[in-house]
Amino acid sequence: MQTLKTFGLKYVVISGILVSAFVLLMGFKNSENTHKPISHTVTIFKMKYNPEHLVVNKGDTVVWINKDFYQHDVTDFPAKKWTSKPFNKGETWSKVITEDTDYFCNLHKVMKGTIRLVK
Amino acid sequence: MKTKANYKLTLICALAIATSGLMMAQDTPQLSDPEIASVAVVANQIDIDYGKVALERSKNKEVIDFANRMIEDHKAVINQAVALVTKLGVTPMDNAVSQSLLTQSKETLKKLNSVSKKDFDKTYIDNEVAYHEAVISAVKDVLIVQAKNAELKDLLEAVLPALEAHLGHAKMAQSKISK
Repeated sequence: MQTLKTFGLKYVVISGILVSAFVLLMGFKNSENTHKPISHTVTIFKMKYNPEHLVVNKGDTVVWINKDFYQHDVTDFPAKKWTSKPFNKGETWSKVITEDTDYFCNLHKVMKGTIRLVK
Repeated sequence: MKTKANYKLTLICALAIATSGLMMAQDTPQLSDPEIASVAVVANQIDIDYGKVALERSKNKEVIDFANRMIEDHKAVINQAVALVTKLGVTPMDNAVSQSLLTQSKETLKKLNSVSKKDFDKTYIDNEVAYHEAVISAVKDVLIVQAKNAELKDLLEAVLPALEAHLGHAKMAQSKISK
């Protein structure tokens, strides 16, 4: 009887651990997979990127829309590894964000913005 | 510094002359909207003219990029101003401030064209810093305050951040050229 009881208890404990591990694993897996990339908008107006500082998930897209009547661009800062090239009022440019990003307007060098990934 | 002082003095004198008669009448605006429109167009055209001289005389990429930007942005402001006065059916009216700005700009153009090539970049950028500082003061303290038409006021307010960005850009270029 004692052996049977011990076996039963062991069975329950092991099953519990397995179920918990499964649930945990699924949970982790879900948290990674349920984030569908979304789109964020940065409005360029009165010589400013708005919002100036943005936090996004890896893989999200940021769309910049120019609402000034001056040309603007979006250029990697400070190394200029990539650039949107100049775009006009009413035009947009977008980029998928995979890393923390600092950028500026290479036409109006005092305009700056940052994008940080959710930790 | 002398240039900066000259611009400020010119603008103050011009505004004083332009408004002295009008100051007598109570609550009478010192500059009318058509006059403000004229000042806006003239002030932008002057900086385009300075930029064109820079394109002819400078070999410095920093200066050339800045001059191109001034030409493009100030053209964009003039286009907006022209579109607005056309929509409002207003004709920009010449006035003492516009005339004074033009007189001062003739002297500056003469200087920009005659200064040695070696000294050109510094002369141009120093002038751009002083000019933008003076124009920002005039737009902020006089033109926006006195503009009556809401759309004209909006346009002047939209121009101000650009002038401030230009000033910041000019100061960046100035610090590189001075080194």
